[in-house]
Amino acid sequence: MSPFELAEPRTLKSAVKLLDAGDESVRVFGGCTALMLMMKTGVFQPKRLISLRGIEARYSKVTSAGDGSLRIGALTTLAALGRAAAVKKRAPVIVDTLRTLSNVRVRNVATLGGHLAHGDPHMDLPPVLMALDAQVVTAATAGSRTLAVADLYTGYYETALARNELISEVLVPARAGRRAAYVKLTTRGADDWPTLGIAVSFVTDGKVLSDARFVVSAATEKPLRLVSVEAVLNGATVDDALLARAGEAAAAEAELVGDARGSAAYKTELLRVHAGRAVRKALAA
Amino acid sequence: MTTHRTIAFTLNGRPVTAHAGNHQNLVELLQGQGLFGARESCAQGLCGCCTVIVDGQAVSGCLTMATLADGADVRTIEEPQAGEGGLDAVQQAFIETGAFQCGFCTPGFILMSRQLLDAHPDPTDDEIRHYLAGNLCRCAAYPEIIKAVRLAAKKRRG
Repeated sequence: MSPFELAEPRTLKSAVKLLDAGDESVRVFGGCTALMLMMKTGVFQPKRLISLRGIEARYSKVTSAGDGSLRIGALTTLAALGRAAAVKKRAPVIVDTLRTLSNVRVRNVATLGGHLAHGDPHMDLPPVLMALDAQVVTAATAGSRTLAVADLYTGYYETALARNELISEVLVPARAGRRAAYVKLTTRGADDWPTLGIAVSFVTDGKVLSDARFVVSAATEKPLRLVSVEAVLNGATVDDALLARAGEAAAAEAELVGDARGSAAYKTELLRVHAGRAVRKALAA
Repeated sequence: MTTHRTIAFTLNGRPVTAHAGNHQNLVELLQGQGLFGARESCAQGLCGCCTVIVDGQAVSGCLTMATLADGADVRTIEEPQAGEGGLDAVQQAFIETGAFQCGFCTPGFILMSRQLLDAHPDPTDDEIRHYLAGNLCRCAAYPEIIKAVRLAAKKRRG
């Protein structure tokens, strides 16, 4: 790694001011685990890094509103997120996903905001948060805006965030009868990077499904909603024939890409088989 | 703003200062203090050989910026323990069960096992396996390591 400056602002506002719209080698970090890996391999050589660890404590907190929605500070560590009683109650799929997301040491320091802003399509929580219709609140010198996690990703390691913009909070709406599940498929250890990720959610009376979300990740340039699968699920009653149709629709719609953890053909077959299993997992959640 | 600075932190209960660069990691900082128990092995936060306890939490030293240790309480495998020979129940249990061959990964396994037992004094085998999934032993002493953690849990309960 080559030398760089480190700024440690005490407020979100001053952190935003330290970012430079014209210089992508100035970046903010929370846990710095992902950036450290990029710096160690020389992929990223910063001029200056801005630690968000010292900013206002409210950006490290999880709060739940009376309607059941969650407001999660972007600096909340993945470990704290997994321990939060409100998350266990309101969005148990997040807690389930965190069990095999990297390891204890990384979860102790890595933050939700960094996890989302990194833009690596192998990350586990972006598809889950997309399936929950979550939003991110961002801060920039021009002001704050709210956008859907689904609109955050524009390509491989590319996000809709401007260079002088950062994620300050994540909003998860109330689930009101919505069930959700994440299926993480790995070819090595359970906590490895996924070969394929499938996040699904829907509203159900226990029989008929509606308002489904079906998101695939880790085999695409960015986490991707598969609307043809949602169309198969909406208004339908779950049986083996329906889940087989959902798997065929997923395999037909998704244009998956291969990587070191599996070829495109292998991942497509995984998707065909596990699409229905993800729905079953959500039904049992 | 500078690229290097002098930091002050507590190392195994003792106040120390060091000159560190932002581009250095915590393992390098500890090596500068003459401590070699935290080893950089995979360099990617996957293997656990570089485990260090910072402010009570386990971190991967290889993924931790050295200057962020400023003001922190840093504990390593070298910290003397209250038990016989300066070893704690976890270290004694690893020796008694032969839970290592080359020993390269052992400091990380011991520090992580202490964290596990602090949070879960009587873990099941599944809980032990799950918690230690981020620690790799290339000699594959895993069965003995799980036995060691179970034995340590028993010793700690007295």
